[in-house]
Amino acid sequence: MKHVQTVVREAEPAGPGVRRLTLMDPDGWPLPKAKPGAHIDLHLPGGLTRAYSLCGDPAQADRYVVAVKREGDGRGGSAFVHDALAVGDALGVSLPRCTFPLAPDAAEHVFVAGGIGVTPFLPMAMAAERAGTPWRLHLLHRDAPPLPDTLAPLAESGRAVLHDTARTPRPALSALLGPAAPGRHAYCCGPAGMIADFEAATADWPAGAAHVEHFVPPPLLPDPEARPFTLVLARSGREAALPAGAPLLPAIRALGGAVEASCEGGICGACRVRWLEGPPLHRDRVLSPAERERDVMACVAGCAGPRLVLDL
Amino acid sequence: MDVTPTWLGVVTHLHVTPRAFLPMRGMDAIELVEGRGIVGDRYMIGTEQGFYSDKPEDGRQVTLFEEEALECIRRDHNITMLPEEHRRNVTTRGVPLNHLVGRRFRLGGCLLEATRLSFPCKHIEEILEKPVFDPMVHRSGLNCRILEGGTVRVGDAVRPV
Repeated sequence: MKHVQTVVREAEPAGPGVRRLTLMDPDGWPLPKAKPGAHIDLHLPGGLTRAYSLCGDPAQADRYVVAVKREGDGRGGSAFVHDALAVGDALGVSLPRCTFPLAPDAAEHVFVAGGIGVTPFLPMAMAAERAGTPWRLHLLHRDAPPLPDTLAPLAESGRAVLHDTARTPRPALSALLGPAAPGRHAYCCGPAGMIADFEAATADWPAGAAHVEHFVPPPLLPDPEARPFTLVLARSGREAALPAGAPLLPAIRALGGAVEASCEGGICGACRVRWLEGPPLHRDRVLSPAERERDVMACVAGCAGPRLVLDL
Repeated sequence: MDVTPTWLGVVTHLHVTPRAFLPMRGMDAIELVEGRGIVGDRYMIGTEQGFYSDKPEDGRQVTLFEEEALECIRRDHNITMLPEEHRRNVTTRGVPLNHLVGRRFRLGGCLLEATRLSFPCKHIEEILEKPVFDPMVHRSGLNCRILEGGTVRVGDAVRPV
């Protein structure tokens, strides 16, 4: 079982084109902890995975809440979530990953969101409020905003400001953010154009004071030796181009290769595979030099040459 | 020379969780079922829902971890790892777990047979967001088969047979 098993306990409309899901363990057991700003992958039928920010109260340890906006073409993951997923359905999800955390040393947070990009800021705002750190949220939206019930109390408090760009001129982000100041951290989640505007508006801010959500998991083991290479499975002839540092096991499996794995840290020996061309970059701690001439532990390996050909 | 084991240990914590990735829950007592596992735990044979349940293993019915290893990880690596974080079922004090592979011993009134050392799993770093994989190598606990089941409580003795 390689995912967190959940059941859809609630599914409801939450603003225009948005469906909000409350996911819980089948027995209501606490779920793995999530930091404010974290996202999870939903594992959808057909091998689709889609990342969504958690938008519920981080103090509720027994649920993950996500808000899914229907995408324009309506064929991918969001269509399934809107049209097929029902209360009571089982849904596998990934562990929460936080690539968009609150700066721990901030004296003040300024959040700028575009439309459904507001989702990570809801738990971040709740956490900042509880920590007593001043915060402000600017949400740019057209017509009705997403998640109105969650936003209403935040707007009433005056700390969340909704800018309906269908009715009022679109504000300049630099005006919303204000100038850089000691301890002031700015965050943006929204469409690509808005992120570009944000990056321009914060270009002269101190390093590390402006944060953007990219939905890209951080590599577990940054390796300066890593380089891109082509993975080839000799028996099927199938191949794939891997970017530098890409993990090998998922790539092998995506090509239909069957390989056991257990520790996935290069010590248990389960994923030993014979290699035919490389040479591999061995990063395991189980194979002897002689064994490395023939075999490789796939879970941690890379490739020193342009092609890694495995006997699979 | 046949050396008679002289150690005597104690159960300091008990934890179970029903499914992979979920937080471990501390218990005052757990129920071991002969030949199967722990009631309510993810590796109970017949109702397995653990991370490794796609690789069934008869010798993984109950897992143990030394409290002393947590102290070593703090001392040597300055990482605080809590008893609910190592993801083994039974935390012990005073039990030389690494010496028990292939041996039988008493856990409270239950009889266990140690099948192999546990390996750490790289995923524990993702779950805990702590770099504990390397520090756990060679002190990651013990996998056991249950030869005689029963109730195990915090404070129960662990002793050789």
